[in-house]
Amino acid sequence: MTISSQADPIVYFDQVTFAHYEQTTPTLKNINLTLRRGSITLLVGPSGSGKSTLCMLMTGIVPHLLGGNLSGKVVVDHHDVASTPVKDLAVSAGLLFQDPEWMIAALRVEDEVAFGPENLCLPREEILKRVDHALNFVGLNHLRRNPVWALSGGQVQKLGFASVLAMETPLIILDEPTANLDPATTYAIHQLILHLRDEGKTIVLVTKDLDEFMAEADQLVFLQNGEIVASGSPRQVISQYGKTMFEAGVWLPEPTEIGLILMEKGKLQSSQLPLTIPEAVEVYSQLQFKEIEPVNLPANYAEKLISAKDVEFAYNPKTKALKGVSFEVYAGELLAIIGQNGAGKSTLSKLLVSLLKPTKGELTLFGKSTLQWHASDLANSVALVFQNPEHQFLCDTVFEELSYSLLAKGITDEQEVKQRVEEMLSQMELLDFAQKHPFGLSEGAKRRLGVATMLVGGGVRLLIVDEPTYGQDRRMTEKLMSMIRRFQQEGIGVIMITHDMRLVEAHIDRAIVMADGQKIFDGSPKQLFQSTEIIQKAWLRPTALRRLLNAMEEKGYLIPQNISSVEQFIEAVL
Amino acid sequence: MSEQFLAYIDNDSVIHRCDALSKLLWVAIVVVATFLFQTSLSRAVMFITLLFVAIFVARIPLRTIFRVSPLIFGVAFLLGLFHFFVTKGFTPLITIGQITIMKEPVEDGLAFFFRLAIMVMASFMLIWTTDIQELMTGLVHLHMPYRYAFAIFMALRFIPMIQQEVEAVKAAHTIRGRAVKSQFRHRFRLWQRYMFTVIVNGLRKAEGTAMAIESRAFGAYPKRTYVKPFHWTVSGFSLVGIFTALAVFLLVMEHWK
Repeated sequence: MTISSQADPIVYFDQVTFAHYEQTTPTLKNINLTLRRGSITLLVGPSGSGKSTLCMLMTGIVPHLLGGNLSGKVVVDHHDVASTPVKDLAVSAGLLFQDPEWMIAALRVEDEVAFGPENLCLPREEILKRVDHALNFVGLNHLRRNPVWALSGGQVQKLGFASVLAMETPLIILDEPTANLDPATTYAIHQLILHLRDEGKTIVLVTKDLDEFMAEADQLVFLQNGEIVASGSPRQVISQYGKTMFEAGVWLPEPTEIGLILMEKGKLQSSQLPLTIPEAVEVYSQLQFKEIEPVNLPANYAEKLISAKDVEFAYNPKTKALKGVSFEVYAGELLAIIGQNGAGKSTLSKLLVSLLKPTKGELTLFGKSTLQWHASDLANSVALVFQNPEHQFLCDTVFEELSYSLLAKGITDEQEVKQRVEEMLSQMELLDFAQKHPFGLSEGAKRRLGVATMLVGGGVRLLIVDEPTYGQDRRMTEKLMSMIRRFQQEGIGVIMITHDMRLVEAHIDRAIVMADGQKIFDGSPKQLFQSTEIIQKAWLRPTALRRLLNAMEEKGYLIPQNISSVEQFIEAVL
Repeated sequence: MSEQFLAYIDNDSVIHRCDALSKLLWVAIVVVATFLFQTSLSRAVMFITLLFVAIFVARIPLRTIFRVSPLIFGVAFLLGLFHFFVTKGFTPLITIGQITIMKEPVEDGLAFFFRLAIMVMASFMLIWTTDIQELMTGLVHLHMPYRYAFAIFMALRFIPMIQQEVEAVKAAHTIRGRAVKSQFRHRFRLWQRYMFTVIVNGLRKAEGTAMAIESRAFGAYPKRTYVKPFHWTVSGFSLVGIFTALAVFLLVMEHWK
């Protein structure tokens, strides 16, 4: 379904098929799509469904810069993409890349925003006006003279946003603009997007955080295997294709996921499917709830893995990255370290594997002071999976990568190595890729390989995973979490560093919240989401599920205390 | 965030306020002078002056200089050592037991050590004190086509990014342990992998940045506007003047001697 009947389209795709350079299978197939001026279009689909390629097609990056075969017609703001160079399309379509660091072309914030308008040969006064407006819009005006490398992840994202705004294009394309941001900054970016739409801009948005947009978006496009499975208003598409989207691994707002499951169980009519929290309160308040048992596994408090007492760390004498942090970690615990970008989470994880040493305070790892540990010796007991798993890879095939970890632990018997590697590959669903180069895997497979390299040798007592859900669809996240739960049952302590509040609420037993280098909270996610003060201080935001439950409680409904995931909500009402 | 040691340091010093083209000329003068000098004493004076200016005038933190010292001194030392061994000597300088050290290899070794150390130190000072965007507008001011000037700018901008990438890869590899007994083989393998990862990610970033800047209309017109146009500065001329005078003075002193 398309909305080609609606007036004044800014973009239209007519029978578009596109195959990347030297690829026989097209990434996009038979795309027919129209975008109306001043509308918001959401692009959703599982990993590898062609969302980013579709975005790049609207700016001409494909086919002009990345090559490939394009058939059919793409028209953006009256320009035929096939015959218009990227630099000329730049006045019509602005793209915020998934990794905005790519976009940085200058050294200072204000120079970065001015870069695009300077290329358009605009008068100096006009450029300065645009820079002021864009920086005020995203709230970075007070940092305008700062060097770009001193910005936090969230600020870099806002800077990328400001740079696109300064081009004043009628079409703005945002490819996962909040993928690696803390929840409060994500919310702020979402509000900016809605504001832009109100200013008359056309927005194309690829995101997994749909809840803010379900009521606001004009069009939802569901892509799978390079084809548009459905497009239309969010309500139309989700009512008809919600189940397919859910099964394909697309992240949907939790109240809607609950509705889809209840529809399948015959407890809800499709016409009742809620898309927003007020709608969900209305629909679910008619359900009867029963108490459910908590599922969290108790940790083994007899076995202390880590003890930190007043730990401080400074990269330079002027700035302390950690200020007096104290906590303990036990075997079999599933712990999350959360907080805004730049709060000190990654620094803390590096201290826990002895890559950094505290500048003050006591840090004991497995009963021994960190000062007595060398990171490579600690590798037998603690495993850290980096946010970018590519940094960890050392070999030319997936199989060799795991063999390396065994050799590093002194296991040299070829037969044993082969057997253990194959077992781990099969456990991680990587057996088919054994002879592939690690860099050639999908993002999800790379992350699984990252975990596998750290665990294959056995003996690991603590696993630390930095942003486990980054770049993963729902299905892949569930797979990774069930694996992590299994490790936890085996007595391995697990620490996750994450911005994903949904993950924290559904899976985590204990959360440590960091803000400005300090620990400001240590307790259960439930306690955390009840503390408005901590949530505000650490730039967090309760999940859509928590907001739904809170809204229902405020209306006087009795809600079981142990609900922390979609599955538990369903359990409580069935 | 870890500190970057090969990037612009945001200080407000006299050297920072000098215009980029004067600083480029200053580096050229220092490098040419170091090749014209005949004695290691002159080169040592030039090197110490550079170090003094870096620490006390440009206010470059000592830890930054310390962190890059393997790059400044390490390579220079190896080059010096190489020349010490390959240069033929005729004049005995010192005899220790049965070993006689000749004057010529020592002088040659020192000459190469100081030449390289001065070149690297002066280049680093340019990086630490110069907003490379100003360097780009300066080159355009000298009528270099802006696409070429921008290419130089981007190449310099990649240095801190590569440094960051190397540090991340190094940290990740450390915690994976060592798979071979030989320390040398292990180190060789790590270096091989650093290079691979850094090159692959560097190329990806370069490709990403090229796409990103073109999608912001870079190259759309033969000219572009500069919000901050280039201006020559008195402090820049003074810097060039002082170092030219120092170089001439040292050359004259050598001749006098």
